[in-house]
Amino acid sequence: MKSIAFGQYYPSNSIMHRLDPRMKIIMGILYIVTCFLCKNVITFGILMISALLLIIISKIPVKIVIRSIRAIIFIMIFTAVLNIFWTKGEDYELLLSWRFINIYSSGLYNAAFIVIRIVSMIIGTGIFLTYTTTPIQLTDGLEQLLSPLKVLKVPVHEFAMMMTIALRFIPTIIEETEKIMAAQKARGADFSNGSLVKRAKALIPVLIPLFISSFRRAGELATAMTCRCYRGGKGRTRLNVLRFSFKDFVALFLVIAFGTGIVLLNIYAPGYTM
Amino acid sequence: MSKLTVENVSFVYSAGTPFEVKALDGVSVNIESNRITGIIGHTGSGKSTLVQMFNGLIRPTEGKILLDGEDIWADAKKISAVRYRVGLVMQYPEYQLFEETVEADIAYGPKNMGLDDAEIAKRVLESAEFVGLGVENLKKSPFDLSGGQKRRAAIAGIMAMRPEVLVLDEPSAGLDPAGKKSIFEGIQKYAEATGAAVIIVSHSMDDMAKYCEDIIVMSHSKVAMMGKRNEIFSRGDELEAIGLGVPQMTYLVRLLAQKGIDLPQDIFTVDDAEAAIIELFGGAK
Repeated sequence: MKSIAFGQYYPSNSIMHRLDPRMKIIMGILYIVTCFLCKNVITFGILMISALLLIIISKIPVKIVIRSIRAIIFIMIFTAVLNIFWTKGEDYELLLSWRFINIYSSGLYNAAFIVIRIVSMIIGTGIFLTYTTTPIQLTDGLEQLLSPLKVLKVPVHEFAMMMTIALRFIPTIIEETEKIMAAQKARGADFSNGSLVKRAKALIPVLIPLFISSFRRAGELATAMTCRCYRGGKGRTRLNVLRFSFKDFVALFLVIAFGTGIVLLNIYAPGYTM
Repeated sequence: MSKLTVENVSFVYSAGTPFEVKALDGVSVNIESNRITGIIGHTGSGKSTLVQMFNGLIRPTEGKILLDGEDIWADAKKISAVRYRVGLVMQYPEYQLFEETVEADIAYGPKNMGLDDAEIAKRVLESAEFVGLGVENLKKSPFDLSGGQKRRAAIAGIMAMRPEVLVLDEPSAGLDPAGKKSIFEGIQKYAEATGAAVIIVSHSMDDMAKYCEDIIVMSHSKVAMMGKRNEIFSRGDELEAIGLGVPQMTYLVRLLAQKGIDLPQDIFTVDDAEAAIIELFGGAK
């Protein structure tokens, strides 16, 4: 349970860790868009290689990345199977035909493409955002990226603050949940046996104390913030001012060049197109 | 035969990862019925891990926990039966209150045991009386009680299961002296009425001196000392080496001895000191 608590951030000293979080958010979005632009064997091949390169550049152990992919393995298999059986491609070779099941070569291609796309997206968002950027940096970056919206009276700072606080308290609340569950187990609560309804009911003695302590904690935090003269984002300066550096622009350029390259290869490369 | 025996128990948190921490290392203790045993030690000495093993919340990595001579993990499915026999009051138990009334909250444990309504009602009243919670409080919401009352209601919730072994982890933490006193008196009442084995975990040497007969001293995941109260407190130098010290009154006696006023060395509580000083001046209490 604790492993979820501290987010996915994996400390290391790679160049990816040192990039500006704002730039990483932009690059992450561009990378995901690129995942959807890939259309043929060559571009998907390049996409796969790019994902591997990202892992190497950011010095994240492959084991950790595989763990996050494993979490969605079911969705991947499901979409792959759907694609294999449901792709109708009369122009393509019919590989297998049995009663109402027809499997075309195009179906196999599509299944493979979809899997590569999902895996690359997971790796991309992981590398650009969660693995290499602390949650605090992430919300900071998001706040500043969205700050133009303040003109439209969108409470950007408040949203960012809410997110920061929420992230900060996830481990605390998980710890609290474990404590309360242990306390109720000591009074004979049984969370793992019985029907679904029974198990859901067994959670009431955990949820109520948890809610109460969360409200109490929220009140205490509000008081503590007020005592330190917090009054929202207006005129608030920051301890760590984000500044773009040369390497940020180089990184952005590389991602854009990568996307453009994919688009061009889509047009000129031969072979099966999705 | 001891009521509860811990046999050479070890426990490792996050085994097999770089974050591995040894919380207990070859711990063996015996807990007797009809007696209040204190467990004392620093934060991180393994006391809380040890007490959570008594009722099977944590399963030892090595070693055995015997209740009346039977291994509590012999059949893992029957562990909840062990939890009724070994009642554990965790730290800050008031955060576990959830029912609409104090009465219903105290009844939660007995209800899980499957007792009939008459028996539950009887136990709720008895438990409330042990901890000194007036009948007028039983119909209130637990959230309307004061801090000390909440704590007592939570302790009553465990007592209502009539455990043969009652374990309390820092029962007096964060309470004022009056609140502390009423909690410890409640525990003593329970111990006298049921003859249960009672175990109190605490930081305070003074509380230990006042309420516990046997004392177990934990240090660095091991049992450092174990024995009768007087034995343990007479080893003041060793306690200080662990960084725990002796009760305040024992310090006072030592200081007085330096000034040339000799009092017996087995003074651990205010009452002991009072009696000794009166005797010194030739008075009678």
